[in-house]
Formats: sequence, structure tokens, C-alpha cells
Amino acid sequence: MRFSFRDLVALMMLGFFTLAAWGAEAAPPVRIGVLAWQGLEEAEIRWSSLMNQLQDRLPGRTLALRHFDVAGMAAALSAGELDFVVTNPGHYVFLEAESGVSRIATLVADASTDPAHVVGSAVVVLDERRDIAGLADLKGRTLAAVSTDAFGGYQVMWAELRRLGLDPEQGQPRPMLTGFPMSKVVEAVLNGDADAGVLRACLLERLEQEGALRPGQLRVLSPRSGMSRCRVSSRLYPGWAFAAARPTPPALSRDVLVALLSLSPDAAGQSWSVPADYHPVHELLQELQIGPYAFLRETAWPSLWERYWPWVCGLVLTLLAWGAYTLHVEHLVQRRTRELTQAMEARQRLEVQVREGQQQMDHLSRLSILGELSGTLAHELNQPLAAIGNYARSLLRRQDSGSLAPAALRQAAEEIASESERAAGILGGIRAFARKRNRVREAHDPAALVREASRLLAGMLPGVPGVMLRQGAGATGLQVWVDPLQAQQVLLNLFKNAWDAQQAVGCDLPIEVDLSREGARCIVAVRDHGPGLSPELQARLFEAFFTTKPDGLGLGLSICKTIIEAHGGEIAASEAQPGPGLVIRFTLPLVDGAPPPPERVHDSLP
Amino acid sequence: MTASPDMPVIHVVDDEAPFRRSLLFLLESVGWQAVGHESAEAFLAAAPVFPVAGGCIVLDIRMPRLSGLELQRRLLAAGSMFTVIFMTGHGDVELAVQAMKDGALDFLQKPFKDQVFLDAVERAVQVSLERHATQRRQDEALEILTRLSAREREVARLLALGLANKEVARLLGISDNTVHVHRQHVMDKTATGSAAELARLILRADPKGLD
Repeated sequence: MRFSFRDLVALMMLGFFTLAAWGAEAAPPVRIGVLAWQGLEEAEIRWSSLMNQLQDRLPGRTLALRHFDVAGMAAALSAGELDFVVTNPGHYVFLEAESGVSRIATLVADASTDPAHVVGSAVVVLDERRDIAGLADLKGRTLAAVSTDAFGGYQVMWAELRRLGLDPEQGQPRPMLTGFPMSKVVEAVLNGDADAGVLRACLLERLEQEGALRPGQLRVLSPRSGMSRCRVSSRLYPGWAFAAARPTPPALSRDVLVALLSLSPDAAGQSWSVPADYHPVHELLQELQIGPYAFLRETAWPSLWERYWPWVCGLVLTLLAWGAYTLHVEHLVQRRTRELTQAMEARQRLEVQVREGQQQMDHLSRLSILGELSGTLAHELNQPLAAIGNYARSLLRRQDSGSLAPAALRQAAEEIASESERAAGILGGIRAFARKRNRVREAHDPAALVREASRLLAGMLPGVPGVMLRQGAGATGLQVWVDPLQAQQVLLNLFKNAWDAQQAVGCDLPIEVDLSREGARCIVAVRDHGPGLSPELQARLFEAFFTTKPDGLGLGLSICKTIIEAHGGEIAASEAQPGPGLVIRFTLPLVDGAPPPPERVHDSLP
Repeated sequence: MTASPDMPVIHVVDDEAPFRRSLLFLLESVGWQAVGHESAEAFLAAAPVFPVAGGCIVLDIRMPRLSGLELQRRLLAAGSMFTVIFMTGHGDVELAVQAMKDGALDFLQKPFKDQVFLDAVERAVQVSLERHATQRRQDEALEILTRLSAREREVARLLALGLANKEVARLLGISDNTVHVHRQHVMDKTATGSAAELARLILRADPKGLD
């Protein structure tokens, strides 16, 4: 800030030099504005001698003096109505930042005074107020001051109080603004309206000297050293500034400066000196967040906007874009979720339908198989029933003929009992087989399933040559996801077909079952030693209502296919090697390969 | 079960053990000697092709390996005297027709009434006994006729057809006296007193012997 400001001044100076010749020739009136901090009349009195002296030092130029309050001076400057301004340090710093004025001289109390330590404040109380010994005692008191705009009359003291932890803005102490002139502050303290009052440094001494105050009537709080003639309660700051407006030609500034420095001290002993460093004033104003630093206090949105609008715009745009993106994504998510929900509902409905259809199908298929097996089953039931009948009638005959021996009776009774149990077992098996059930998927050892089916087959069809189970290397201890009853249904079907085929050629070799593993699937191959089938017939084997048997319905293998596919597997027929014979190969998903496969939807049901 | 040599034996061949045992129990209830066999092969291994005192086979038509029909064909080829009763649980008409053509005596469909079964067995045993007796008489006649020389058998056949000595002599181109000597030898060797008796003997040995 300070650096850039210096650059700015240097630039202005450069510009002014180029215009110097023109300024000298025109010789317009030199317009000087002074801050009338104690009222117009006072200002008239105070600055008239200065103006007269300057007029004498600047022959050929007319001086135009105008008095302003704080706001009015800034307005006149920005309107280009002033060449020079004379104002207090705080106001100067404000104008420096606001209007680009630059100091050419600083007012000092006397020639020996350091221009940087001229302005200060004194806080005065009635001497008899023993309860107020120092500045720290001002807490909770009333403090009179001319105006919050007064630099030496208020702002300097304000900063001091803040350093003590007191803040008049927070009512500690309570400020009482009297307005100019500063004598009103003295009056307020004297008549007890205020507990204390803030006076510009040296005012008290001057009043005492003039006799307006009895020396010792007012006491200065927390007096500091630093100023030889006057008592002060604050630090000292540079004095009033004589500053050139931005467009003022440098030649004119130089002339005025030379004139100012050549003036003799006025009646009050004040004179103009080289310009002081106003940096401490900057710091004070920054600390108080006033003047050019007021934006710190009011979080001035407009100034922030001016300074940061590209960033703000960028941020807002980014936020808008992000918001739009979020909304878009949210919209997409909601739409996709809705679609997914609908799709899942549709899928669930379909699954329910398929499951119901599948259960109905399973039920029907079991009944169909029962139908296909019914001839055999009737025979199976007839056997025990016929045996029972034979025993019963035999017993009657022996009884009638008087030849019934106890041993014979016992033998017959035992046979009857065991045969009736056997018949009941067959019926029980049929009932369990035909019962409607829900779909299940359980882990089972395929070898155990084959053995179980083989046992069932032997129970249903005596004389079946038997099933020989072979397990390849790595095909032991497998677990497949199956409905065990359906798996047995498939195996029974295949075994029965195999047996029928072998009977046709009078072959009594065992039916061969081969278990092997291929990736995540278990392959079950059922091989018979029948006549085999031509490739054309093999291709049609799994069609519904296709059969090679005179009494077949052509449903068994198509049902097997449905069941296997519902398990996520495949079923196919091929020529046995070496022939003759047929191999039916089907696959089942392994437990360790993957989770149970989803139910498949079948396009057509056999 | 050990069968008495002079009594007919009923062989039950069925792979279904409980049912087979129930049939044996039933047969024994009415005093038959009955033997069970679990398969056709087992029967062939155990039973004589020519039963001494007659008997029959009760065969399940459907059995693994050697079926009932096949067993019947083998017995037939071997000239067995057994009569065969078939049983089936399946009611196969074609099989039944074939079995009867092959000489089965009866065809029973399971389940059957015990009386039907026992009647069939009774009849079959009777038939077998008759066949056995016929066979025995034929064997005796053949044995008698084998005592004759070739010329004597020729003379005996012509005499049995009712020809006179002169006619026989003319047909054979020999003298009347020679025919008379042959006739005397034939009558002596066959212990027959007339041409009619001789004719019956020849027919017993061969029903077509006089054609």
C-alpha cells in the first residue's frame, strides 16, 4: 500500500513537471482550503495572518482561502476546486488515500519541535476529582470531546484508551460530544456535565495563559513526557499538514513550500517545517478502523466487491455450476433410482410369475414322470399285494385241510407284514415325489445324489443292472447348488431311459455315471449300453413330445432340460465312445464356483 | 427241498423273491412239491431237462438277462417234457401270443387268484404226466421193433396194413413160404397175436409209421 502509493506520487510528480510551464503562464488564483475545526470564525482568525504572509511571499498570485468541514473538503477536492489543503493529521491521511493529496509541509509548535511529534491529547478532570487518578479510572465515566472526527481532540485519545482496554465505542467511558469549539469541552468538565474531557495538546496551557482557566483548576490524567511545554496524556503525532492537491502543478507547490518555510513563527509560536512522516497516523487510523481504514470496521461490501469482484464472480459461477451439476446429478440419480425401482419391481413380478409357473411345472413334470413310471409302479405295487394274497389264501387252505403248522403260520405272517410295509413304502415315495414344494437350492455332493437316485431306481425297478459311479481326479468332494429332489428326478429319468435302451438289446451291463469338474461346473455323464441314437434323433431328444419309445409321452427329457436349465446348467446327448450307446451329459453349478445362479426365465415350457 | 423221485415237481422261476416264496408256500399248501429259482440260469443249472415223474415250470416272462421266453425256447429245443405256465405283471399281449405259440400251456397275469393258479398248475402237471406216459409207451414200442431185422420190419408193416401173405410175397418178390416164416418171427418177437395188435404197436412207436 505504502509502496504503491509512493509510486503513484512519483507518477503524479512526473505529470506535474510537464505541465509546469503552462501553470506559470496562466497564473490562476491559488485556492487553499483549511479545515475549520473550531468553527469558521476561529478559522478566519487563526489562518488570516498565514494567508497574508503567504500572499506577501507569492507576488503575482492571488490566494483564495476557503473553510471546510471534514466532508466538505473531500468533496471540494474531488471536484477539483482546491490547489492546496491545510488539515489535521488524521484528515490528511484520509485525504491522501481518498483524494491523492500530498503533503508539502507540517505545522510545528516551534522551530525546535520535531515535526513528527506535534499533535497529542490531554484528558483533563477537575483537580478535586480524586477518584479519577489516571486514564484507567475513566471506566464507567463520561468523557467529553468535540467530535469523533477530531484528530487531536478525540481520535488520538481514543487509541490510547483502547490500548488500556477501554473503548468509548463500547461506552467505557461514555463519550459526550460537545461540538466545536473545544472550549465547550472545558465548560462540560467545569460544570460537571462530564467527568473528564479531551483537549488538544497545549490548549489547556493556552487557556491558562489567557486566564480563561485558573492554573491547577484542571488536572491532566496520566501525563506523559515528550512535549516540552504542554502536558499530554497520549503519544504525539505529526502536526497539521499543508498538502497539494493531485492536479496542482509542482512548480506552484515548490513556490508555496518555499514561502511556507520562510515564514516566521506566528503569534502562537507555530511555524511550518519539512513534511513529517505520517505513518504513525496511518497506524492509528488503521487501529481505530476509521478514515481510510473505515472499511475494516464496516466490512464495506461495496469496497470488497470492487476489490474482489472477479473472485466473487468466479466463486459464484463455480457455486452455480456446482449447484447446477449437483442438481443435475441429483435429478439423474432420482430418475435412475426410479427406473431401477420400476425395473426391479417388474423383475420381481416376473420372478414371482416364473417361480409360480416353475413350481406348477415342477409339479406337472413330477406327475408326468409318475405317469410314465405308472406301468412299472403298478407292477411294483402288484408284487407285494399278490404275495400277501398268496400267503393269506395259503393259510386258509392249510387251515381248512388241518395241515397248518405253527412254523408255516409264522413264516406267512412275517412275509405278509414285510410285503405290506414294502407296498406302503412305494406309495409313500410316490406321494413325496408328487407333492408340491417350493424351490430350494442346497449344497449337495453330486456323488451322494447319484447313489441315492441309484438306490431309488433299484427300489422302483427290480432287475435294473445297477449304476456304476466313476469320479475323475479332482471330482471328489464336490458340492453343487441343487434342488435335491429335482436332481434325483433328472437322474431317475436318465437311469430309466438308459435301462429301457439296454433292455431293448438285452444288455445287462451297469449304467455308467461319470462325475468330473470343469471350471465352476460339475459335469454328470450318464452312459448306457443300448443301441444308441442317430445324430438327428439326438438333436431332437430334448424336444417336448418327442419320443423313441412306443409307450413314451416324450416329456421326461424335456422336463430334465427344464430342470437343468433352471439350475443354470446345460444338458446334451452324444454318442458313447466306444459305442454302441448313448451319453447324456449335464452340468450343475459348483458351490465354490459362484453363488447360486439366478432363476432363468424360459421362453417356452415343454 | 428234496423231491421224491416218483412225484411231480413244480419249478417257480421268478426274480422277485417275496412273490416267489409266496407261490411256493401256496403250492405246498395243496401238497405239491415246489422248488424256487431266482433266474432262468439258476433253473437250468439245478433242474433236469427230463423230469422223472412229470412236473411244470411257472415262469415270470420278464426277467433280467435270460428272459422266460428264451428259457422256454431252449427247453423246447432240448425236447423237454416240462410244461410251462407263464406269469407277467405287465399284461403284454404280444408276449402272451408268442408264448402260447411256443407251446406254453397257460398265461397268467399278476395278480391272479390262487385257485386259477392252482388249476393251471394241476392241468400242467397232468399234461406233463400224460406226455410222460405217451413217451414211455413209444419208447417201449420202439424198443420192441428194434428187435426185428429190416426184412421182418417190412413184412410187419405190410401185415399191419392188413395185407394177406400172398400179397406180401408178390409185393416183396419173395415166395409165400418165406413170408410165412417172417410172419412167425415177427409175431414171436413182438409178442403179438394178430395183425391188428401189430398195427397198434407200430403206431405207438411212430404215429406216422403206417402212412
